[in-house]
Amino acid sequence: MRRHFPWARHAVLILVSAAMLLPFYWVLKTAITDENIYAYPPRLTPLDPHLFNFVDVWYLIPFPRYLLNSAIVSALAVAGNVVLNALAGYALTRHFPAKRLVLLLLLSCMLIPFQATIIPAYLISARLGVLNTHLGLALPLLSTIVCIFIYKAAFEAVPKSLIDAARIDGLSEWRIIATVLLPLSKPAIATNVILAFIWSWNSFMWPLIITRDAEMQTLPLGLARFLSYLEDTTGALYAFVVMVLLPGILVFLMAQKEFIRGLTSGATKG
Amino acid sequence: MAAAAGWYGRKRTRELALIVCFLAPSLAIFLLYRLIPLGWNVVLSFQSWSPMRPARWVGLEHYEEMFLWDEVFWQALWNTLVWIGAAPVAIALALGIALLVNSDLRGAPVYRTIVFLSYPLMTVAVGIIWRWMYDERGGFFNWVLRSAGLIDEPLGFLASFDMALPAVIVTDIWQVIGFYMIVLLTGLQSIPQHLYEAARIDGAPAWARFLRITLPMLRPSLFLCAVIGLLNSFTSFDLVYIMTNGGPGHATELLITYIYKAGFGQTRFDYAAAITVVQFALLLFLTVLANWAAGGNAGAVERD
Repeated sequence: MRRHFPWARHAVLILVSAAMLLPFYWVLKTAITDENIYAYPPRLTPLDPHLFNFVDVWYLIPFPRYLLNSAIVSALAVAGNVVLNALAGYALTRHFPAKRLVLLLLLSCMLIPFQATIIPAYLISARLGVLNTHLGLALPLLSTIVCIFIYKAAFEAVPKSLIDAARIDGLSEWRIIATVLLPLSKPAIATNVILAFIWSWNSFMWPLIITRDAEMQTLPLGLARFLSYLEDTTGALYAFVVMVLLPGILVFLMAQKEFIRGLTSGATKG
Repeated sequence: MAAAAGWYGRKRTRELALIVCFLAPSLAIFLLYRLIPLGWNVVLSFQSWSPMRPARWVGLEHYEEMFLWDEVFWQALWNTLVWIGAAPVAIALALGIALLVNSDLRGAPVYRTIVFLSYPLMTVAVGIIWRWMYDERGGFFNWVLRSAGLIDEPLGFLASFDMALPAVIVTDIWQVIGFYMIVLLTGLQSIPQHLYEAARIDGAPAWARFLRITLPMLRPSLFLCAVIGLLNSFTSFDLVYIMTNGGPGHATELLITYIYKAGFGQTRFDYAAAITVVQFALLLFLTVLANWAAGGNAGAVERD
């Protein structure tokens, strides 16, 4: 596009980037400092940086327990999305009666934010007897409509002749999905894994509602609890923040392309 | 012939059964956690019910209480509208950044990554980071303002009735702006370049190219951003809960935090359901309005 003023554009973008990165610096600086974090004026560079706050987080609060819960829920959500969405996505590439109805149903479900359904969703979970369990935490996250459409698009890109050949060879539908379609749809699988991981890892409101015991709490809940109990002590809270953010940042930086494709496929699919 | 038809019919039935099996788990989840709750909300909103009492039909009683007597509801509704009203500002900013990044500028992918980085992060953690940024004693903003000599006394941004809501909204924009930018970038990249070339040959100035080509061609992306902004008023629960929990007073109360408080704080599930119905109706109305503003079919979904 325009080729003039590259320096002006760099300057604006550097300012924007600074605004985006500054909060990260501010929290990191506090996380590795020992002094009174409320001293004024605040130091811009950390004095004697060390990692004791991180050790504190690991031992003072049930961090390993929160981590385990988060890992279990995320693992369930990722497995559910990868498998269930693939099956549903494959079904949607086939012709069957009432297909339009199913598509319409899925697309209208996309407009219902989960937060708008929490009261009955809580009551339903209570009836299913999954309150305060890992399954209950993961259940609403097991399948995602956007991800079903990502699979559908990937499967539709596979040449029809290949599928027909497999069918003539006598492969069952299950085997066609497992041995023909899925190996050719690796980017779609990656997108499913990443979106399911990020969404379940960050999920807060649902765990807040359906967990009762501290043993069932996930990392975001542990963080919120830490905030309300130990607010005024040290930089440990901010060390906790850094520890919780790291996996998300790493996953995102490693798989940025798949993540963005997943989010923007909503843009082309409606 | 008959045998062949029978064989074909059986095969067709088996195929159908398989398709149903494949769809069933996902559909069951969406039924249980999207559609049924939506209907249940409506039913519950007309009942008087709590885990301790049997349900009783009370008609519009909850809505009457909400609209006529509940000042907190009106405050939360107003705050939610302000929250939604901030979305266009964020979208405009994101469009500016997207236009700057969408070019042959060296390092554009790095800028893009940095701007987008905040979006996939845990909102609870983002809320805590920004509480710290706004902090009265060790916070960044107070340090800057005091160093610059603009204020003498530290400001408690999140404790102030006037500043708390804008402060939380700024945080929200910081987190979602990358998402808007990515959506708009995808839209910008789908605009055929020859349109710009033709306009340039015709001597159209840059602003005319922007107004006549970029903006109209971006309509679907802008509509999508608007929908994201609307849904954001629901999904912002985490941020408000962590940063202010609706306070001070109810200065940052959104409908969604009020729903949570009514339902799980006061165990008034029925009343919370009624508020949910109102917020969902508001969401639908605004979505239709945005669709209309985007020229009718902007967000039309591709069927099959």
